[in-house]
Amino acid sequence: MKGKALSAKEGINKAIIDFLKKSLEKKCFDALLIPAKVPETESYAWLLLQDESLLELANPLPPVMTVQGGKALSTVTKHGEMHQSVAAVMRPCEVRAAVELFKLKQNNLENITLISIDCPGTMPLSDYTDNPEKMTKAFENAFDKWGEGDNLRPICQICHKFSLTSLFPPSPQESPSDQNEKDFSASDLHIGLLGGNKEKIFLMPCSTRGTELLEKLELPPQDSLEKWESKVKEIIDKKIKKRNTFNKEWLTKIGGNEKFIAVFDECINCHNCMRVCPICYCQQCYFDSPALNLPPEAYLQRAEKRGALRFPLDTLLFHLGRMSHMVLSCVSCGACEDACPMSIPVAQIFSVIGDQTQKDFNYVPGRNRGEPLPLQVFREDEFSEVEIPSEGEETSTGEAEKNV
Amino acid sequence: MSKALKIKKGVDKGLNDLLEFLLKSKDIKGIFALKKMNENGAVSYSLMTSVDELKKATPLHPLMPVNAGKVLSIFSLKEATKEPVAAVLRPCELRAFIELVKRNQGSLDNLLLISLTCGGVYPLQSLADGNMKKHLPPYWESLKKAEINPDLRVTCQSCEHFIPYLADMTVATVGKKDLDKECTILLNTTKGEDYAKDAPGNIGSEEMETAETEKLKKRREEQNKKIVEDFEKEGLGFKALVKTFSACLACHGCSYACPICYCTLCDFDSKTLEYSPQSFVSELEQKGGLKIPPGNIFFHLGRMSHMAVSCVNCGMCSDVCPVNIPVATVFSRVSLSLQDEFNYLPGKDVEESVPYGVYKEEEFVEIGEQ
Repeated sequence: MKGKALSAKEGINKAIIDFLKKSLEKKCFDALLIPAKVPETESYAWLLLQDESLLELANPLPPVMTVQGGKALSTVTKHGEMHQSVAAVMRPCEVRAAVELFKLKQNNLENITLISIDCPGTMPLSDYTDNPEKMTKAFENAFDKWGEGDNLRPICQICHKFSLTSLFPPSPQESPSDQNEKDFSASDLHIGLLGGNKEKIFLMPCSTRGTELLEKLELPPQDSLEKWESKVKEIIDKKIKKRNTFNKEWLTKIGGNEKFIAVFDECINCHNCMRVCPICYCQQCYFDSPALNLPPEAYLQRAEKRGALRFPLDTLLFHLGRMSHMVLSCVSCGACEDACPMSIPVAQIFSVIGDQTQKDFNYVPGRNRGEPLPLQVFREDEFSEVEIPSEGEETSTGEAEKNV
Repeated sequence: MSKALKIKKGVDKGLNDLLEFLLKSKDIKGIFALKKMNENGAVSYSLMTSVDELKKATPLHPLMPVNAGKVLSIFSLKEATKEPVAAVLRPCELRAFIELVKRNQGSLDNLLLISLTCGGVYPLQSLADGNMKKHLPPYWESLKKAEINPDLRVTCQSCEHFIPYLADMTVATVGKKDLDKECTILLNTTKGEDYAKDAPGNIGSEEMETAETEKLKKRREEQNKKIVEDFEKEGLGFKALVKTFSACLACHGCSYACPICYCTLCDFDSKTLEYSPQSFVSELEQKGGLKIPPGNIFFHLGRMSHMAVSCVNCGMCSDVCPVNIPVATVFSRVSLSLQDEFNYLPGKDVEESVPYGVYKEEEFVEIGEQ
């Protein structure tokens, strides 16, 4: 693999911003969607900018994730193609969310260049709001130790998908041809930060659009990426180990009805988790709909069955329902957990279950634009092990009997 | 002077005795109150129909996981309950329910309303941080002395409407020095008196407003002034507005937790406020840069204009904000002065119409009519 190494002697941020500035000047794209500091505050927000002078506010890798980038992009392109070309600079999990939303037809990537960056993780939002200065320092620390800070979102501490999407194991069953890879790649361009000792950043084109971008800027991708690759692989391995232990621990913590219910004891049913989730795109969630309204007598009857009925109702059903709707596409970004006023580890639970479910379908959400959503494909022989033959069905082969 | 039921037990136990009596000996089919969820101090608002479950009730626990006014609205939205049901709720929750009833989002029929002179609640964050248990002893101590507990929700610290308006029964807690030993429940209506007949304890009499409640009211007024002053130090006007809401994620959690925001689908979550890519482009060309998602301030101002006249300052909005914006402080400052303009106190009187629902020919002539 080859890429273009750029000097970052004046800082990584400056190198990235300079590159983006040049791209804007050379009309590689007309506008940029990028995180930026809100003037006169400590907050960050997504900024869609055309005016180059606004790049001063931009921070491609801020210490916090405010609105999930996939969601921000969907806000702009949900109703069709942009008539200007826009580059969106995002964290890998945000690009993956954008790819899932693309499959769910909630954005239009026609004129969009997706640029991903190696990501060390982000700080929890409320910790950052409480003490921006301290958390900015902690983020810089985590950057140096690459994701090893205890202050990071717990889900970031075990994230092994922090870099270029095509590097994530497991690889798809049918390995894509080079051309396929180019047509369906998640990001168009990836910016590698690892292995550069804060002195270099690496630009790597992943799609035809990305290749053309570097051509136009006369930045031929001919430099070796060996250092970056070996560092990324080393950290992926480390994170996978950490993740496996983490998942095992969580399964003992939430396995079984009683434990699972207890985790959600403190839920106040505010649905913040769903509102910030990039995958939960429904305009009106079923669980907020009038379908759940009952006459008072029905509530009393339900209460009488167990002696008491918790209000608002069906808190657990909401989480299970939401989970069954979105967990195959869950990119483990952690936005849900950050938004929970009760500090319930929603993201950690959803990620554990997402890992299991996605593995069953050999599906990695956001890995590739061409991979269909598992629930949209019919495979005749899928999950045959859980099929039970209907009564009276021929079992002479003995196969079906075994399955029972 | 109003009649009062006095039970020789701590206020918690006494109230639970009354609730048990209502469920066992009267026609009450269920009781809404906070119920203990776990040992950390978590509670949920529950409809309890069995005496066993009612033993887990902890109606005075100083937390508000949901505004109970919202719950009673869910319960009675489709129709009034035919079976009598009792509910224990805080004054601001009761006021919220009344505002919802005025908007046809619930019914008061067949509900026995039990409220309390309210010492306030802790932010939900206290539970999330694991501090709830630690908070309980000082809570009761400051209640006895009619003092403001500095760890309470900001809106509670400055709330002057801690005496309920339309309750059938009121549990006296503010300034009750003997609340560990005696439970005093004022019977404010004939309905309340009827339900208390033959209840455990003795019937005596009690004043709703005492020197102690007056003391707390004064302290809260002062605290309110202080909060407003501190808030204004940060500056007012458009710039301050933008700054205050700069971290807003547009999650709309505040509107979802708000008891008054009852719309099934908020206008700001609807297609009306989704924009075409073309409109983003043309705005971008005019301004050079846009915050995404757009319309942040618009949402808060829109929500404010819809609900501020009925805002009961319960503080739920601040508690659920993931980025700690003092939503309730901003909204209460605006809503209190707006309500002053209309001489309207939300939730005080169910017969009084919501100001926006009434046309008065002579209203606000000073601002525009010539």
